[in-house]
Amino acid sequence: MHLLVDAVGFGIAAGAVIAIGAVGFSLQFGMSNVLNITYGALMTLAAYLGLFLLGRGLSAWAAMPLCAALVGLASVGFRRLVVAPLRRRGTGALGMVIVTVSAGIIVEYAIVAVAGTAAQSYGRQSGATLHLLGMTLTAGQVAIILIAAGLMLGLHLLLTRTTLGRAMRATAANPTLARSCGIATERVGDAAWLLSGGLCGAAGVALALTTVSFDFTLGSVFLIPMIAAAVLGGIGQPYGAMLGALVVGIASEVAGALWDPAYKDVVAFLILIVMLLVRPRGLFGAAWSARRLLA
Amino acid sequence: MPTSSAEAAAPALRVRGLRAGYGDAPVVSGVDLDLACGQVAAVVGPNGAGKSTLVKALLGIVGFVEGEVVIDGRVTTGMPLERLARLGVGYVPQVEDVFESLRVRENLDMGGYLLPRRERARRVERVLETFPALRPRLDRYVETLSGGERKMTALARVLMLEPRLLLLDEPTASLSLSVSRVVLDQVRRLADLGKAVLLVEQRAAAALAVADWAYVMVRGGIAMSAPARRVLDDPAMREVFLGARASAGG
Repeated sequence: MHLLVDAVGFGIAAGAVIAIGAVGFSLQFGMSNVLNITYGALMTLAAYLGLFLLGRGLSAWAAMPLCAALVGLASVGFRRLVVAPLRRRGTGALGMVIVTVSAGIIVEYAIVAVAGTAAQSYGRQSGATLHLLGMTLTAGQVAIILIAAGLMLGLHLLLTRTTLGRAMRATAANPTLARSCGIATERVGDAAWLLSGGLCGAAGVALALTTVSFDFTLGSVFLIPMIAAAVLGGIGQPYGAMLGALVVGIASEVAGALWDPAYKDVVAFLILIVMLLVRPRGLFGAAWSARRLLA
Repeated sequence: MPTSSAEAAAPALRVRGLRAGYGDAPVVSGVDLDLACGQVAAVVGPNGAGKSTLVKALLGIVGFVEGEVVIDGRVTTGMPLERLARLGVGYVPQVEDVFESLRVRENLDMGGYLLPRRERARRVERVLETFPALRPRLDRYVETLSGGERKMTALARVLMLEPRLLLLDEPTASLSLSVSRVVLDQVRRLADLGKAVLLVEQRAAAALAVADWAYVMVRGGIAMSAPARRVLDDPAMREVFLGARASAGG
């Protein structure tokens, strides 16, 4: 029983990391309708940038916002230089997936060229162990859960309370109508990719922090639970992705604790396949759609 | 051509030799059109005549546009859609005319996107005076509203910027006759307030009843340009262009 409670605790911590990444991924898809597989490689890039900054004496927590900003900018650059021109030429969804897979591989091998293939680590993060509701969590895990909750709240406020956030939702819902209202949809799209890229960067550092060691495949492996969470919540809907992340995180950790840790990733695969077969519009389907943030 | 009073005023919209369509094939060609402030010009005609494409061509949201579109004395052919809003052009498309996943209040907010925040709140109050039925619906998601309420939201949204020129593409489509009448009465009222309204309508007789001028479109061109009353009263026109039997009462 204690093992199960601890697994739930680890699941919440894992879900927090997945949520940061999945919400950014879902927001990006909702805004642009592009399934951006490069996202995983950009997470890896953030993890390595964090490692570089750690080597310069920064703490991982201080490196996180810097990495988020840099990956956010890289994300906007990728949109401007690759995604937008291809969209203008009428490249279809499948073509875009192939392009983003290819770009992801290029980013990964660029990382290998600079940092090599050896496993890396942020090292053991000092901090106390906390006991909450019978769960044992490290201070680092608690910090990541709080950061994730803060980011989710911030995103919620941005999307619902600010003109930019409403313009993002309007652009996602109906870009032509948005333009007819005077909304500069290209700039709004850039802002969305900056934001989602920032979340991608933060997720990359958070993932590296909670992983014993990592290499250049870190982000691409993590893409599966992240996409599973996004699909579970209804892809394009950040709120759904938050809840989906929690479900995937807890289910993976509980499966790992009850059977074998090797099953953790299998659970994410399983959730993804079952959801696509049974409820491709997400767990909440039409009922959720009335309150969705992004169409 | 428009009435003498219209000729006296500066034209809100002037179109000359418009040719537009998708791919290489023109859907509309040789279209000339004039519209002054305070007037409703109805564009009517059979299905597939190119009425909606004409509106989209004026906004530059079709495959290609040739010819000259002049709005308030400025050539706007090929101008990005978001810039037209700044020139005082409001557009209500035939379908997808609202942001479905946003609340009514948020739709109005986006209609006033170009305004300072405080001014936006003031304009919301003003458009609610025109559409008081929306006030109790402000916090509802648009996708939960009835067809008539959605159309009112679309019209209220477009009025947020107080446009001088309104392009309305079949605003009564899929509405009941009684709601259609309310919508078209509002259209007339907007023109009486000084706005220029280009009204594309399938319900030709109802549209002509509130219009000053009529453009009858057939196969992508203007087959007839005359005062709306004359077209409405002409039995031959009713039969040939307006489908009077089919749209009796509408």
